[in-house]
Amino acid sequence: MDDTLSVLARADATKLKDFAETLIPDLGEIEVLQSQSGLVMLPMRDTAKGVAFHLGEVLMSEAHIRKGDVQGYGMRRGHDLEASMAMALVDLAMATDVRSADCKAFCSAQAEALQKADDDVLRRIEATRVNMETF
Amino acid sequence: MAYVATRGGERAIEQSERLFREEMGSFDRERVEEVKKGLPYLIDRVMGEASLYDEDLAALALAQTGGELYEAVLLLRAWRTTQPRLQVAEPIEQDSLFTHRRISAAFKDIPGGQVLGPTLDYAHRILATDVLQGVSYAPDPVEPATNPSPAYQPSVSAWQAENDLLDSPAEDPTKGNDIPDLTREPLLFPSKRAHTLQSLARAETGGVLALGYAAMRGYGQAHPTVNELRLAEAEIAVTHPDGRQFSAGRVKVSQAEVVDKKGEKLGIGFAATFGWNEVKCIAAATLDLNSPSAEKGSATEEEFFLYHTEGVESSGFCIHFKLPHYVTFQSSLDAMRDAKAKKAAKAREPAE
Repeated sequence: MDDTLSVLARADATKLKDFAETLIPDLGEIEVLQSQSGLVMLPMRDTAKGVAFHLGEVLMSEAHIRKGDVQGYGMRRGHDLEASMAMALVDLAMATDVRSADCKAFCSAQAEALQKADDDVLRRIEATRVNMETF
Repeated sequence: MAYVATRGGERAIEQSERLFREEMGSFDRERVEEVKKGLPYLIDRVMGEASLYDEDLAALALAQTGGELYEAVLLLRAWRTTQPRLQVAEPIEQDSLFTHRRISAAFKDIPGGQVLGPTLDYAHRILATDVLQGVSYAPDPVEPATNPSPAYQPSVSAWQAENDLLDSPAEDPTKGNDIPDLTREPLLFPSKRAHTLQSLARAETGGVLALGYAAMRGYGQAHPTVNELRLAEAEIAVTHPDGRQFSAGRVKVSQAEVVDKKGEKLGIGFAATFGWNEVKCIAAATLDLNSPSAEKGSATEEEFFLYHTEGVESSGFCIHFKLPHYVTFQSSLDAMRDAKAKKAAKAREPAE
């Protein structure tokens, strides 16, 4: 899985929008191919028989943009078209080498924040670990 | 079935809807946020039964219907039909679940160990009546461990297969739009396994519990032991137009495996759903475990439990009985009167 896209999809929405806004003048003219919300069907693997089945659909927002032949894409959970567009702008900036260093720094900072949030959750979960004894 | 067209009810119908909605009063984004924040397990249940994952929409449906669950789920199921399908994600694999709770009643020393996660299993069930006297309820804070729990845990059933207790499932390469989908195909019997599990994932919790409980109490053929129960978050693995795969976020999921002795090996039942709803998963997995040898018409027979746990259809059929049935009922009365008249006429006939 692509780590950068995965981080952008879960990055803080406000920070992502604020950062993407600063990229717009540098990106120049871009074409918006799609900006919409819709559903993504999510399958799961059954561990009894190994069959994939559908759990249900998830509301997502997606943005698909283009600059020349290069595509930028964003997809995030929930209805937030601005956030998915912001993700697409960062993706396009990285693909066209526009302010790469800033984009990488933004993604690193967000990855670190997400990792810390996960660690905090997992340390709280670890507090519930049971070491059972039988008598 | 026959119905009588009626006139003159428009005003009454409009006023009755107003009467229903008046009780809840006006609501706004703030109330939706309160419902979402304060009732996460109810939100999970609604999202699972609607088979539509979005906390905001589920909270809105609850606020709009005053918590009438069948109406809330119906609203969401109806809404989803208006939305385009953007993609089909990659299937969630058990060992890639970001795990919050993972327990086994079959083995205490499962690989990766057991974490209780969030649960009231061992809590005293005491109603916090002080709150009604104006005292705020503040739960004691969790004391985090120094080291994090592993985010991903191995599969118990895979470990059992390695130890010859279970047969490993065969690889199923079906992906994307080739996975059978109940929202686009009818449920036919014998049901495709993908349809069975999708149907159970979106089934009504109370219905699944009632039939699963019947199996547990002895009206089934197999007694469940919870092999593995997980509450977790799953990645939504989607594809960029240039072919790169990435996670577009996480959703809460529950899954349960139950086992029973079956010859020299274990039989296994499985179920999963959106949100954290372990009662539904254990009951549904019990039905899955029991269904292979179930008698026709029994509670654990696939056709029986899949048809009867579909909440929108069953609640819809139930409430349709309160709609005017004047013609059918008159027909029944006519038949009764006719039978009565014939009986009376026969009684008047002289004996031969």
